[in-house]
Amino acid sequence: MDRRSSIKTLLILSAGAAILPSCLQEEKKPSVAVKNFKINANEEDMVASVCDTMIPSGKTPGAKDVGAYQFALMMMDECYSPEQQEKFMEGLKDFDNFSKKITNKSFTKATPAEREEVLKSVESKKEVPENVAFFYNSTKKLTLEAFTQSKYYLTKVHVYELVPGKFYGCVPVKKAS
Amino acid sequence: MGDSKQSRTFDAIVIGSGMSGGWAAKEFCEKGLKTLVLERGRNVVQPKDFTTTNMMPWEFKHRGEIPYQVRKENPVVSRCYAFREDAQKFFVKDKEHPYIQDKPFDWIRGYQVGGKSIMWARQTQRWSDFDFEGPARDGFAVDWPIRYKDIAPWYSYVEKFAGISGNKDGLPNLPDGEFLPPLELSCVENYFKDFVAKNYKDRNVIYGRCAHLTQPKQIHFDQGRSQCQNRSLCQRGCPFGGYFNANSTTIPWAQKTGNMTLRPFSVVHSVIYDDNKGKAVGVHVIDANTKESIEYFAPVIFVNAGAYNTNLILLNSKSKRFPNGLGNDNGLLGKYAAFHNYRATINAKYDGFKDTKTEGGRRPTSAYMPRFRNLYKQETDFLRGYALTFYSGRWSYTDNSGVGQHLKDNLLAEPTLGPWSVGSGMMGETIPKETNFLSLDDEKKDAWGVPLLRINIDYDDNDEKMIKDFFEQMTEMYTKAGFTDIKTNDSKQAPGLDIHHMGGVRMGKDPKTSLLNKWHQFHNCPNVFVSDGACMTSTSTQNPSLTFMAMTARAANYAVEQMKKREI
Repeated sequence: MDRRSSIKTLLILSAGAAILPSCLQEEKKPSVAVKNFKINANEEDMVASVCDTMIPSGKTPGAKDVGAYQFALMMMDECYSPEQQEKFMEGLKDFDNFSKKITNKSFTKATPAEREEVLKSVESKKEVPENVAFFYNSTKKLTLEAFTQSKYYLTKVHVYELVPGKFYGCVPVKKAS
Repeated sequence: MGDSKQSRTFDAIVIGSGMSGGWAAKEFCEKGLKTLVLERGRNVVQPKDFTTTNMMPWEFKHRGEIPYQVRKENPVVSRCYAFREDAQKFFVKDKEHPYIQDKPFDWIRGYQVGGKSIMWARQTQRWSDFDFEGPARDGFAVDWPIRYKDIAPWYSYVEKFAGISGNKDGLPNLPDGEFLPPLELSCVENYFKDFVAKNYKDRNVIYGRCAHLTQPKQIHFDQGRSQCQNRSLCQRGCPFGGYFNANSTTIPWAQKTGNMTLRPFSVVHSVIYDDNKGKAVGVHVIDANTKESIEYFAPVIFVNAGAYNTNLILLNSKSKRFPNGLGNDNGLLGKYAAFHNYRATINAKYDGFKDTKTEGGRRPTSAYMPRFRNLYKQETDFLRGYALTFYSGRWSYTDNSGVGQHLKDNLLAEPTLGPWSVGSGMMGETIPKETNFLSLDDEKKDAWGVPLLRINIDYDDNDEKMIKDFFEQMTEMYTKAGFTDIKTNDSKQAPGLDIHHMGGVRMGKDPKTSLLNKWHQFHNCPNVFVSDGACMTSTSTQNPSLTFMAMTARAANYAVEQMKKREI
């Protein structure tokens, strides 16, 4: 038995015994090295789940495939102010409470359909706490940026031309056939 | 090795390697003068140092954005539209090169070979006598010592070499030049052009002339340049040499002669004036890296450090003869500084031409309206006037609402073509005055022991009235043209962000009221020339770089003639 499976077994055993100590949970390190604010692995998972729910993977790539949540956290870390980072983290924590109110579950434990329902509730802008809205809106903005500025999107969906060549000032709009 | 005075002596010294310095270097080297070109920043060799030029959007870590910490530490340069991830290395960071703002002034700079010519906006409109005669007619500043006929052949000279795209419009207030073909205007731009021509006497909408090779000629191929590809990524430096910058034109041309010694990392401390000989003899340089003090010598010195750095160097060039800065007998050095007022913009929508759009490249210019206010006579309660841009486009948009598959489907679908958007930006002439001035701090020095520059420049009532008039006139023209949803905006930005820094070492006929004569020589120190923005007596409205280039080529050729005649 290799080491990884033995740890997994240990975890299952521990969980089964319902004595999973919180310190063990925290040992899982977040995978994005954030320097300017604190985020733990569970919170990171939540950001990832939000991004993946926004633009799901399927037959074609989604948020996960373009590294959207990693990009979102890196941008929050390097391009946002300390005040914005604080609001983002507060919003993230309250977002989970918001989720529980709707689905009775933590966001990461919810089913894909339930997750989408939670995001739609935030989109409805009804009774959404301000910092939850901030967390959501900044995550959405960055997810959209990650997706629409990705190599996949700019080479396969709407092709970015680095060297476009001739400019035409006045051409007819083609009717959709 | 090479430490004797002889090895540090040249036929000419040019301080600065950018828009104008590059031209002085080219002219001197072509005429056979051994020329030392001093640049305070690093070397930038095209194409190898245009490192971001072929990067795709996703290859920029922050997708173009400047990180928070950098913005926080450098608030001034962060306000510049072109200070983005792709071009940030060409801009001076405030933190590294401090200056003192007695009044808010955004001093945008580029310290490298090529200077700001790498990131400039490439608009190249000629001046006319409506501009040169402005101060004399309207009674401000002093009369220019030159007229259009003096500079016209030199406009042609630099235009042919640089490559200027334009249309022969036949306008007296914006003379035609040596043009490569224009790019196309959009249907809405052509509509507005016709509308203005029909409804307003003496107002014209034209294709904005720009330094792009729309159809290169042999001289451009000889420079190793090729056709502009309409990338509009110019601020990164161009792998095609599609637009004019010193790095792909004047500097390599000078280099090719074998007569140029280019010395990067050379911070110029001052021009050395020899009290015994009664003339300037050289330049005092601090090596940017070693901080070693070195003197270089030449019989002729061109100061093209970028307008306000030129002022700084000259103010710091103190001798027994000139205790208050080189040539500064009248105490006017640093005074009458000016800029362009870029605060006002207007935009709107247009409902027509729904069946047309632009396609293909990203056009690197727009339409342009030369100054029409107070052109033939004084007609408003403010002096002078403004030119403006006119641009149009149909932006595509995607519905970003919702989440999940619904959102994804929208993102993957063909974007919706929006209505035509139109807009204009004002380029206002500011009136140079004594109270807008540059000076040196008495105590504070930079890392190289050079005093910090203090900038004391502000808008005045004339500028405010001009903004109001721009909004009124544009709103009227836009409304009559059928544009809707008209919105005006006063950015309230500080002077300087226009990056058209001018004045402080003005030209004039009279040594009592000006520093430089009609050949850009100091009245009282004729072997020192200033032909960058610092020499400007007034600012008019045109983007000034083309004029700096033409002035420099003219002055350099004059200097060569004078040297031959042993006049200097």
